[in-house]
Amino acid sequence: MDIEYQALWPVIIVAITSIVVLLQAAITRRHAVALGLTIVGLIAAFIAVIGVGPLLPQSVGVLLVMDGFAQFFMGLIIAAAIVTAVLGYAYLRRRNEQREEFYIVLLLATLGSMVLTAASHFVTFFLGLEILSVSLYVMIAYLTEELAALEAGVKYLILAAASSAFLLFGMALIYAEFGTMQFGPLADALAAAEDLSTPIVLVATALMLVGIGFKLAIVPFHVWTPDVYTGAPAPVTAFVASVSKSAVFALLLRYFFVTDGYQFDTVMIALAVIAIASMLIGNILALIQENVKRILAYSSIAHLGYMLVAFIAGGDRALEAVAYYLIVYSLAVLGSFGIISLISPEGRERMSLEDFRGLFWQRPRLAIIFTILLLSLAGIPVTAGFVGKFYLVLAGVAAAHWVLVVVLAIASLIGIYYYFRIMAVMYARRDTPAASTPTVSLSGATLLGLLAAATIYLGVYPDQLLLLIRRLVLTL
Amino acid sequence: MAAIPLEHGLLLAGILFSLGVIGLLVRRNVIFILMSLEIMLNAAGLAFVAAGARWGQADGQVMFVFILAMAAAEVAIGLALVLQIYKRLQTLDIDLASLLKG
Repeated sequence: MDIEYQALWPVIIVAITSIVVLLQAAITRRHAVALGLTIVGLIAAFIAVIGVGPLLPQSVGVLLVMDGFAQFFMGLIIAAAIVTAVLGYAYLRRRNEQREEFYIVLLLATLGSMVLTAASHFVTFFLGLEILSVSLYVMIAYLTEELAALEAGVKYLILAAASSAFLLFGMALIYAEFGTMQFGPLADALAAAEDLSTPIVLVATALMLVGIGFKLAIVPFHVWTPDVYTGAPAPVTAFVASVSKSAVFALLLRYFFVTDGYQFDTVMIALAVIAIASMLIGNILALIQENVKRILAYSSIAHLGYMLVAFIAGGDRALEAVAYYLIVYSLAVLGSFGIISLISPEGRERMSLEDFRGLFWQRPRLAIIFTILLLSLAGIPVTAGFVGKFYLVLAGVAAAHWVLVVVLAIASLIGIYYYFRIMAVMYARRDTPAASTPTVSLSGATLLGLLAAATIYLGVYPDQLLLLIRRLVLTL
Repeated sequence: MAAIPLEHGLLLAGILFSLGVIGLLVRRNVIFILMSLEIMLNAAGLAFVAAGARWGQADGQVMFVFILAMAAAEVAIGLALVLQIYKRLQTLDIDLASLLKG
């Protein structure tokens, strides 16, 4: 096998695993076997991600490039997919759906995200994004018995397809203007171009910004987020919030760093406005929600705004800060939606604030885990969220983007209020006797414990992860 | 036969795309919304073909084939969801099917 393709082993393994699970579901339907095969495949892919290290950086044809950057984000995506699979098992076990197909679409969505992190051409950009999106439509509407899930699926499908069309039209215009769809040569063409503010280039960039903005759920392209987050099954919400956003953000970083998107002043101004709007609107709307899933949805909009602050600053420091924050944020959202999926009985999910009243007195361990994750999202010291936010601010300060940094600080303060609101409810005593909670799956609870432990560990000893990020991510 | 200038191709694609966007915003029936999406995606595909013709490369047409495949996958899932919704609610009106609020 060519060395080019050897570097692709992680992607190939995930693809093969999805086919194996598909065949298994065709022969004999066993939920536990499907989960086992999925986990084995994902762990093999994770080992392969580490194993291909010596071969990198390696470009595979013109379409993909495997480097430390792709390696780092693939690792993050695969780890998050493993967590989603375990949570999904605990969640689906209580429901009478056809369960095995969930793992097939989960693996395909993971595959699409991995392709995105390594994409160096519009074709792979588009294919990766669509493999991810089309799998997500199925995952979001997976519980066809529930009207809310169906509605969320249709909403996501319509808006995601529309945003893909915007993105494609933008790509087509760029291609029409510069004659290449490959990031590297496109950078040369952009550098050689005399005038970058021709109408076609401006329209193309705006269209692509709409497409990417939708996937990242940043204001004003955020309207779908609360509905989809609420309607989708909790493990799927965890996946949408962590994996799909990390993958698209990774692609955005690569595209901007390779083609030097920073030379477009208008784009940077637009991004700054988007960042400010996302931070403020996300946090303010989260204040008035009574549903924990909706609170987390709006808070995820704000978190993407925080990351944009560092992204706009640019340079190695921004890469480092964003990569670190994506890890921290993924840990926290996977854990938070994991809690919701674990405490939800059959049928309706427990997601209103009232459902969380007195959780501490019923399930002390889960409540403590949730507290740690919420503290991390709020950016309180000793948790990883604090270190992550510190680096974001540092990147913003180094680039002297004072307005953005000040807004980030104000927005974080607003954010603390609603995170503490959830905590206060959890530790309050209930007046009425609580409805019985289902037995919490041990594997799921252990996993969430690990996520919380990692959140604390990274908050106290961030050095190792930062070294890893410097070694891998800065290869971009 | 004279070659069609790039501008004409892009203009046609732009008009088609705008029609798709208008349809998406105005229509309330899910089936028509899916059709509008189809028009938008194909407009983007047409723009790719026009761009490929300008540079004399096959890339634009390759991209169009990918777009066709992806649009088909999307509509397949879209129609499956629409069927499920119709079974529950006996309506295809997207506003009537909207329950999630807040």
